[in-house]
Amino acid sequence: MSESNQPTIDIRGLHHSYKRQQALRDVSFSVEQGSIHGFVGPNGAGKTTTLKILATLLKPQRGTVRVFGFEIVGQYKSVRRKIGFMPDHFSLYRQMTVQEYLDFFAAAYGLDLQERTRVVGDVLVLTDMESRRNDLIKGLSRGMQQRVSLARVLVHDPALLLLDEPASGLDPRARIELMDIIRELRRMGKTIFISSHILSELAMLCDSVTILDRGTVRYSGSISGLSQGNGETADYLLSLAEDHPAAEAALRKVSGVIEVTKPAKGPQYRVSFHKQQTDPNLLLRAVLDSGAQILGFQEIVRHLNQAFMDLTEPGVPPVIMEAADNTPPTPPATDGGGAA
Amino acid sequence: MKLPVLALFERSLRLETRSALMCWSRAGLLILILFVMIPIQSMAKSGWLGAPGLHFLQELVWLNLVCITLAGFSYFASAITEEKEELMLGLLRMTDLSPVAILLGKSTSRLVGALLLLLVQVPFVLLAVSLGGVGLLQIAAAYGALLAYLFLVCNLALLFSVVFRTTPAAAAATFAVLLGFLIGHYWAAGMEQYLTSTHHVNLQRGAWPMLTTVIDLWRRAAPSDRLGAIFQTGFAGPAIGFQVASNLVLGTALFLLAWLVFDPCTREEKDAASPRRWRWRRATRRSRIPPQLVGLRAVSWKDFMFISGGWWGLLLKFGVVAFLVAACNIIALYFDSRKDITWEFEGGVLIWVSLITTAVCLALEAARVFQDETRWKTLSSLVTLPISVRELAYRKVAGVLAGTLPLLAGVVLGGLLVPDAIGSFFRDMEKQPTLFGVFAITILQYLLFLHLTAFLSLILKRGALPLAIAIQYMGGSFFMSFLAMGLSLGRAEPGAIFFIIGVICAVLTAVLHRAIGLRLIRAAAEE
Repeated sequence: MSESNQPTIDIRGLHHSYKRQQALRDVSFSVEQGSIHGFVGPNGAGKTTTLKILATLLKPQRGTVRVFGFEIVGQYKSVRRKIGFMPDHFSLYRQMTVQEYLDFFAAAYGLDLQERTRVVGDVLVLTDMESRRNDLIKGLSRGMQQRVSLARVLVHDPALLLLDEPASGLDPRARIELMDIIRELRRMGKTIFISSHILSELAMLCDSVTILDRGTVRYSGSISGLSQGNGETADYLLSLAEDHPAAEAALRKVSGVIEVTKPAKGPQYRVSFHKQQTDPNLLLRAVLDSGAQILGFQEIVRHLNQAFMDLTEPGVPPVIMEAADNTPPTPPATDGGGAA
Repeated sequence: MKLPVLALFERSLRLETRSALMCWSRAGLLILILFVMIPIQSMAKSGWLGAPGLHFLQELVWLNLVCITLAGFSYFASAITEEKEELMLGLLRMTDLSPVAILLGKSTSRLVGALLLLLVQVPFVLLAVSLGGVGLLQIAAAYGALLAYLFLVCNLALLFSVVFRTTPAAAAATFAVLLGFLIGHYWAAGMEQYLTSTHHVNLQRGAWPMLTTVIDLWRRAAPSDRLGAIFQTGFAGPAIGFQVASNLVLGTALFLLAWLVFDPCTREEKDAASPRRWRWRRATRRSRIPPQLVGLRAVSWKDFMFISGGWWGLLLKFGVVAFLVAACNIIALYFDSRKDITWEFEGGVLIWVSLITTAVCLALEAARVFQDETRWKTLSSLVTLPISVRELAYRKVAGVLAGTLPLLAGVVLGGLLVPDAIGSFFRDMEKQPTLFGVFAITILQYLLFLHLTAFLSLILKRGALPLAIAIQYMGGSFFMSFLAMGLSLGRAEPGAIFFIIGVICAVLTAVLHRAIGLRLIRAAAEE
């Protein structure tokens, strides 16, 4: 597999337990290069454990984890050169100034003085912290400290950023600014793996997403695939001028229609159908032939919030990724078929 | 208990009772008592030791005194500061809990736990009467003195814990006052004697009689003086003496003072981030890592600057050495009636002062070198550098050593001043294996102590250094007892005993060395 096709992150059959509690069970997914990949799940789902394994802080107990093709246990030094990990807490030397802190990490990554000066200047500009470079970190606000954390992650120009809850505790302005910085980093060609609870922002930001629940992957694939359900069926909302039972009966007769329900009291119908057996045009024709007056006909897109609620409900069986066998890893599908 | 004022106190007691650490402490204490008793009895049987019961009691009581003092500036001094550091005191104050309820809950519960640790020993210590050489009255008086001293220490530490913002500050203040309380009266009495003998003052005039009385009361209030009297053969004094009464009164006064100042001292919550040590603020604002210090050397630089204190810290340490050398000279000139100061004397003083200062600084830094990273949760950032945890740990230690080992230049300088004495010391070591054994065991024990401190700092939030001192002290007493037993029974050569102790120290150091590495990896993952 060529390097350009190689997934940035490739996890296969990952298991991890803490004493009696199993944190991860057969977790498998991959992340494409240059994408922003959201990693969501309820508290205790195993997100931080996965992130710590990716950051080489924990050893996987079973399964394989590769980052840029490097095996995470045997080649951890190569992995560390490629990643920047921002934990869910402030990992800051609060008695240092911002400049000293960034300078220290840049030096620790082996950058010479000239390079350090340039890189530290660049990341300060990128995170809009130039004016605070000589301030003690302990005197900065939470949002500012978060920016310093992000700046630290960037000093060695990593190709993959692992961000654990980067927006937690930030005010709305700081959150929006942080999201802008993350988009800018994607434009710079970096792959960003971001764990967050703020689903609305993730939905706008991410190209793909993995939903984890109780240590099991419920979904892994593109955001658009998640919005369109499982890719085999579609849901449409039909709005009529007035109630028309004949239209409902006509819809039920169309081949491929799974069900027709009335979601509200008004003249509206929710139609579910198999995409391969029929298409929206046939449905429209059937309704028009029944004599009903159509006001609207639109696809019901499932938002990340709804998908999250649906997929993480108790009792939902674990979803198995198509590629989660012993075959060589392949990049995840970018369409709706990428559902795990 | 239904009173709201006792709610937190009750909760703390419940937690204390359920705490596995307390159970292990009590069990450890009993095992220690047993191990102290065995060699003493053996020595008494072989006729090496008279009054074994008294020796047994003395050993335990002095051990307790050291442990109480150590607990003062570790366990007790963090009672309120730990809540301040975690920014939890504001939340406690927002509840219905009054200041006295918080003080009782946070400090008095710890006092009760420690009192129980003392009281649990009493039935076993009564065995001293069977061993002989000591009476019930002596045991009662000794433990009474310890209980009163514990009460005083707890409330002194509580006061500083209320007044200061951080545990290190409260611990330093408690340590300084306790040190003054325990040994200051010896110095004051010596000073008084010197001034009288040189006819500088007349103790019968002016404020001197009152000062003399104060020094006398101070001496009588100190537990060391009281215990010295209790351990004398034929002690017939009261079981509860002046020391007990004064310590209880002082302790109560300190608790009331802590209650009084609680509100003004805890009204504002401030960030307790560790301050920049010994560095000029202006200079550090523009400081850069030297160009040659990249990669692993940058890690050493950070610890040299921020754990060891950097260049200013080094200067301060040299200042401390210079001050102590000057103090020794002054004491020698004025109190030891020396007419002149010889190079030999200067060399000896310089060697000892440099060695002791280096040892103290290294112990303090061993307690911080890894703990600061876990405390501020910065280990996960460091561990993701492209280096192994082993390399990281060694580089951190190298940074700390760079900030302290230059003090050993004093040893070299002292050695140059007294080359003959140094030469004869090494020749003596060659001739006398026992001297070499003591020298080697001292170094091995110190290395073990540093490792123990560093390891404890990774598993305890605070108090690693005092606990390491206590463990080392107990371990040292234990080994010394067995050494004496072996010699007294004539069953072991000194060389063999030193060899066994040396091997045990080396093995324990290696085990702790490995454990520190494993613990660092775990701590980084747990952040």
